[in-house]
Amino acid sequence: MATATSSRSLQCVVVTPERAVVDEQADFVALPLYDGEIGILPGRAPLVGRLGYGELRIKRGGQTKRFFIDGGFVQVRANVVTVLTSRALKAEEIKPEQAEQALREATGPAAKGSADERLKAQERARAQLRVARHAGSHDGERGV
Amino acid sequence: MAKTRELVKRRKAIRNIRKITRTMELIATARFKKALDRAVEAEAYTRKIAELAADLSASTGSVDHPLLKKRDEVNNSLLLVLCSNRGLCGGYNAGILREANQRIREVKADGATLHLELSGKKAIAYYRYQGEPAEHTYVQFDFNPRFDEVEEIAERYLADYIAGRLDRVEVAYMRFLSASRQKPEVATLLPLSSVAPDVTRKAAAPAAPAKPVEYEFLPSAANILEELLPVSFKVRLFKCFLDAAVSEQIARRVTMKQATESADDMIKSLTRLYNRARQAQITKEIAEIIGGAEALK
Repeated sequence: MATATSSRSLQCVVVTPERAVVDEQADFVALPLYDGEIGILPGRAPLVGRLGYGELRIKRGGQTKRFFIDGGFVQVRANVVTVLTSRALKAEEIKPEQAEQALREATGPAAKGSADERLKAQERARAQLRVARHAGSHDGERGV
Repeated sequence: MAKTRELVKRRKAIRNIRKITRTMELIATARFKKALDRAVEAEAYTRKIAELAADLSASTGSVDHPLLKKRDEVNNSLLLVLCSNRGLCGGYNAGILREANQRIREVKADGATLHLELSGKKAIAYYRYQGEPAEHTYVQFDFNPRFDEVEEIAERYLADYIAGRLDRVEVAYMRFLSASRQKPEVATLLPLSSVAPDVTRKAAAPAAPAKPVEYEFLPSAANILEELLPVSFKVRLFKCFLDAAVSEQIARRVTMKQATESADDMIKSLTRLYNRARQAQITKEIAEIIGGAEALK
């Protein structure tokens, strides 16, 4: 897959169990790993990582696309970034009210499930809100 | 006289039925295409997970995970039966139920407790009639099962399995082999038979990489593999649902096609009968008129 041109850019593929969400060229990809964000530039060494909840940014030219990623895995090989996640939402598609509701439910006294599950739900909702806020505040350029 | 009118009426009724079966065939065809497209898209994910699993297990060696371990004693066995919500799809449901029944008998013969879960109104009605109590029933899965909904069920199975409330999870469904071949099957999903979800459709054999790639693992291969196993199970379960959806539409299309064809045959033979009756009637009337004229002479 690594052709002469792709050594200067990345191919970013995002797939969920339901469909392939993204398959495009990118200059830079930022991903939420389980313990923090990772940035990937062309020529990155092969990598397999576990993803957390958070924002996926795909930069191409001056434009940035944002997605909310719901856990999963990432594989980087030969300038191809493959993101496997159970859910990928475009930042504009996130409904902040829904996420806030989920957060309230997870933190409230009526929260269901074990402490672990509650924490997970909280983290998810917070990450969603974060991504939604970013998308709302500045649509254009964002520091790499 | 009465007979011709009756024939016309019947022919009309059959024409109406033919219109309905023909429409159902077309709908099933459209839904089949949609369901197949989804299944093909989902395949990309399955393939990637399989690839990842292969890469990971290559670098970790043997894995020891509760989801992979076969339990010596099976006390609690769960069977999920995937049928359709609606009928008029030929032997689709019957085939699945036959497999499921056989499995139920086997489980009971082994002395294990059976936990029965049903999806689709046809399965629910059948087991209610059989007096077999079901623990969970689902009717929300139609021609496009959503991953979110399947994931919910999968999470529950995983939790029950790890907690030891279940020792085995099986699914009775119609496996999609190709557009012309489907097979009712009982598949064992837990314990997992292997790390990677099996890729059955074309492009199954992943091209063996010439040389293994040296990956950097974050956090570690073993840790990622541990996370990957539940995902692998979810994907398998989702694939069962997708297969069932595709197979159901194929079954319906084939059945409705046959129904339309037999309606055609019936219309033809009724038309022939009608023509014969009409002719007989005309002949009779002419004979009567001639008879009457003769009498007047």
